[in-house]
Amino acid sequence: MTAAPMLVQATAPHGRLRRQSPLMRLIGAPAGAILVAFILIQVLCIAYALIAPDEFRYLSSQNLTILMKAVPVLGCMALGVGVLMIAGEFDLSVGSVYALTAIVMAVQVGSGMSPFLAAPLAVLIGVAIGLLHGFITLRAALPSFIVTLGGLLFWRGAVLLYNGAVQVRFDPGPAFQGLFGGTFLGINAAFWWFLALSLAFYLLLHRHRFGNHVFATGGNRAAATAIGIDVNRVKMTAFAIAGGMAAFAGILATVRVGSVQPGQGTGLELQAIAACVIGGLSLTGGRGSVLGIFLGGMLIHTITNVLLLMRAPGFYLDMFIAVLIVGAAAFNSMIERKGRG
Amino acid sequence: MHMPILELHNITKRFGALTALRDLSFHVNEGEVIGLLGDNGAGKSTAVNLISGIHKPSGGHLFVDGKQTLFSCRTDSAEAGIETIYQNTALVDSLSITRNIFMGRELCTHAGMLKLAEMREIAMQVLKSAVHISGIDSPDMLVGELSGGQKQAVAIARAVFFKRRILMLDEPTSALSVRETEALLNQVLKLKAENVSSVLVTHNLYHAYQVCDRFVIMSHGTKVFDVAKADTSISQLTEYVVLT
Repeated sequence: MTAAPMLVQATAPHGRLRRQSPLMRLIGAPAGAILVAFILIQVLCIAYALIAPDEFRYLSSQNLTILMKAVPVLGCMALGVGVLMIAGEFDLSVGSVYALTAIVMAVQVGSGMSPFLAAPLAVLIGVAIGLLHGFITLRAALPSFIVTLGGLLFWRGAVLLYNGAVQVRFDPGPAFQGLFGGTFLGINAAFWWFLALSLAFYLLLHRHRFGNHVFATGGNRAAATAIGIDVNRVKMTAFAIAGGMAAFAGILATVRVGSVQPGQGTGLELQAIAACVIGGLSLTGGRGSVLGIFLGGMLIHTITNVLLLMRAPGFYLDMFIAVLIVGAAAFNSMIERKGRG
Repeated sequence: MHMPILELHNITKRFGALTALRDLSFHVNEGEVIGLLGDNGAGKSTAVNLISGIHKPSGGHLFVDGKQTLFSCRTDSAEAGIETIYQNTALVDSLSITRNIFMGRELCTHAGMLKLAEMREIAMQVLKSAVHISGIDSPDMLVGELSGGQKQAVAIARAVFFKRRILMLDEPTSALSVRETEALLNQVLKLKAENVSSVLVTHNLYHAYQVCDRFVIMSHGTKVFDVAKADTSISQLTEYVVLT
């Protein structure tokens, strides 16, 4: 039996490997569909804004400023949640962690602590909470959905336990305010932070060994274990990142508003997961991209912004996002099934 | 004269009250293809898992290159040059062929950044020279886009690149088409020519007879026959497996 000639014949191109058009290949890529949708929506919005600039002030500087201030909070939270989702886990507690860490930071600054110490402290608390969730999830072999659902309620209660149901003012001084809430080259500092963190997450997930292990852990845990990857360590790190990014989002929001409400961030965890799902992340892990998370967050706020500019009632937004999430999840599922053949 | 590179000596494996392997002994020579045969429940997969480091023996000894060893995980067996390829290969569908080949052993800078161009170049060479997988345009293709046979070939490519000396193939053909099965068996023969040993676990005696040099037949957790291909025939093999 000769080897090579038979091999060529035996492994002739499979049906699924037929050439696809570049557009179909783009749509099939992890962030391809969201990229196409985002570009289409932007083209439509810009065209309408140019045709009717008085009715639809999408391109006005005020509107763009509002958009740039609003996106980073959800975007940063979604980056952390996204890494965890790619690793195959969920975190439903990030909205509560965001509120708790922001309150701790604001209270400490109000008591005289430097905001440059209080902010890292808030992020450390977020990381510690993430690690705790990860530890319970992995040690007790519980679904992270359940553990972090408990976290959502527990940390929301902890907010009230820590400082009661009162609003806390946050006045960090000009240096801190400028660093997180100022403007640089005409762009809001928070948006610069979001861009920088998106780039850092891109390098971490798509260009670093850790990212490869995150995808492997979420995509095929047994395979990752078999090849010698410490999947528990990967997941613990991802939980810590999710907690830390929730705290960082809290810092950005607190600087922007100048105060913290105890109920702040309620429902934000679901929006963060929605941004990830819309961005092409798989609900079962192992699939997704930072570009998708970035565009998912941007798209949610673009739609919010468009509906506000069109003076549509708030419930339209919820309904629209709901349709978008289910549609995106169905699309992702179809792509995954196609991939599995 | 070939030297045994892998040797199981009186290996026993118990799971509670169940004895899955009882005093199992056989060896694998360098460049030899062994057919590990037997009916369901014979203990073949347990033996594979034990050699792969997934299970630890309850008794007996395992030798690699004549040295007694004990694998506590898959990484240990991989370091000893053993790669296990399962029916559902240990690959990640959502990652590219390149990233799968290097998964867990990525080429990185000191800061952990992937040397993607270097990895891609090597993956391309491995795919071209080691396993001849046609239908794959580029090592950037996602593994999820490949057929079952192509996935097996990528798993073998990984083993070849990392200089594995023993391939454990556990029912590798059960999910493959006739053509893909033919390709896989050819790959086993090609690797044998390069002195890579294989242990083929299969229910299909015809596949085993096609490529194996020797057959170890198991029944109820123990070895009942150990026979060279030259000393048996396909009908005799069938009898051994059916009657034991």
